[in-house]
Amino acid sequence: MPWIGRKDPEAFEVFYDRHGGAAFSLAYRILGERGAAEDCIQEAFISIWRSGGKFDPTRGSVRSWTLSIVRNRAIDVLRSKAGKAPKMTFDDDEIIESRPSEELTEEEAMRNETATEVRGALSQLPDDQSKVIQLAYFGGFSQSEIARMLNVPLGTVKGRMRLGLEKIRGELAEGLA
Amino acid sequence: MNANEHDNRLEEVAAYAIGGLDPDRVEELKGHLAGCKRCQEELRWLSPAVEALPEAVERQAPPPELKQRLMAEVRADAAAEERRARTEERRERAESRPGIGEWLRGLNVGGLTWKPLTGLALAILVIAGGIGYAVGNGGGSGGAHTIEVEPGSNGIAAKVVTEDDRGELHLTGVEQLPKGRVLEAWVERDGIVEPVPALFAPDQAGRASTTIESMNGVSAVMVTREPAGGSKKPTTKPFVEVPIES
Repeated sequence: MPWIGRKDPEAFEVFYDRHGGAAFSLAYRILGERGAAEDCIQEAFISIWRSGGKFDPTRGSVRSWTLSIVRNRAIDVLRSKAGKAPKMTFDDDEIIESRPSEELTEEEAMRNETATEVRGALSQLPDDQSKVIQLAYFGGFSQSEIARMLNVPLGTVKGRMRLGLEKIRGELAEGLA
Repeated sequence: MNANEHDNRLEEVAAYAIGGLDPDRVEELKGHLAGCKRCQEELRWLSPAVEALPEAVERQAPPPELKQRLMAEVRADAAAEERRARTEERRERAESRPGIGEWLRGLNVGGLTWKPLTGLALAILVIAGGIGYAVGNGGGSGGAHTIEVEPGSNGIAAKVVTEDDRGELHLTGVEQLPKGRVLEAWVERDGIVEPVPALFAPDQAGRASTTIESMNGVSAVMVTREPAGGSKKPTTKPFVEVPIES
């Protein structure tokens, strides 16, 4: 992202247009409130704007980097709100894009396909595996916290998390094959 | 490490990938990852699954106002950055180029001493061969602002009228110029003397005027006699100097 070094607002606007929707959706999914999600996105994107090119292309895509920043910030907000439980449902059957399909770019279409596969994989996971993954990723809970929350041994949480993730990964690999 | 222990590590790799590893285990796992190819491969293998998780979230359209707020902050940030860069550039220029005081000292005309303008303390108008006084720091109506300088011993009066960013310099009592000479005005900004592009000459009645396109940051307006075509730097002492209040 050379524009970060150049501090080009027009390029940044294009960047926001491309990833802002997914970022906002993720923040909303974690925080469960539109106002809090908006604040989270504002802070996350400003930190990206001011980061001056800390993105390392060898460690993943711009999108996954951006979404990981948003996720971390949202989890921080969540943790700072003591006693606030994360939203815990996956609305798998909801449409993922409101725009007509002919307006989607190839890249977006691929993402939608990935999203469909991941949703499919999550819906096929045993509930206990899906739950630990959602609590960890969208709730920001550690394995020990999840074990206490679900009242199961730590080893069980570890096993469910790994099995669940590997199943999702396997589904993605099959989708690409 | 036996197979069971390593399986435990692989479970921790999955938790680490998803951000769910207990904080007190993270550093130790990172140390293990650095030297374990199998765990590195597991992390690489799982990464696409983790990266895909946010894509599976139900889409929510962000409100347009969010983008407006964000871009307003970004643009304000960029503008501030630009201002900082310009200030820095000016500062560097100021350090590398002589200010009015320095070139006046360098001129050493007629053995006169000259004190550079230092803010409002110096309201004295230096005129070649005499001294005049700045008689007011302003007047005028509406957005216009006038600074007048009474005639000194050389009989030249000066008036600078500013409106918005623009300035007009009016002189009276100016002697006719010898052939091949013009009047050139100068402005001082941040200690740097810059020429005013519009050269000028007195009319038969001894009146002379020129326009200063931008008065932004100007602390003094000066006039010198220069060779036809003007000069990049003053070659004579100013015979008019008008301090400008900020």
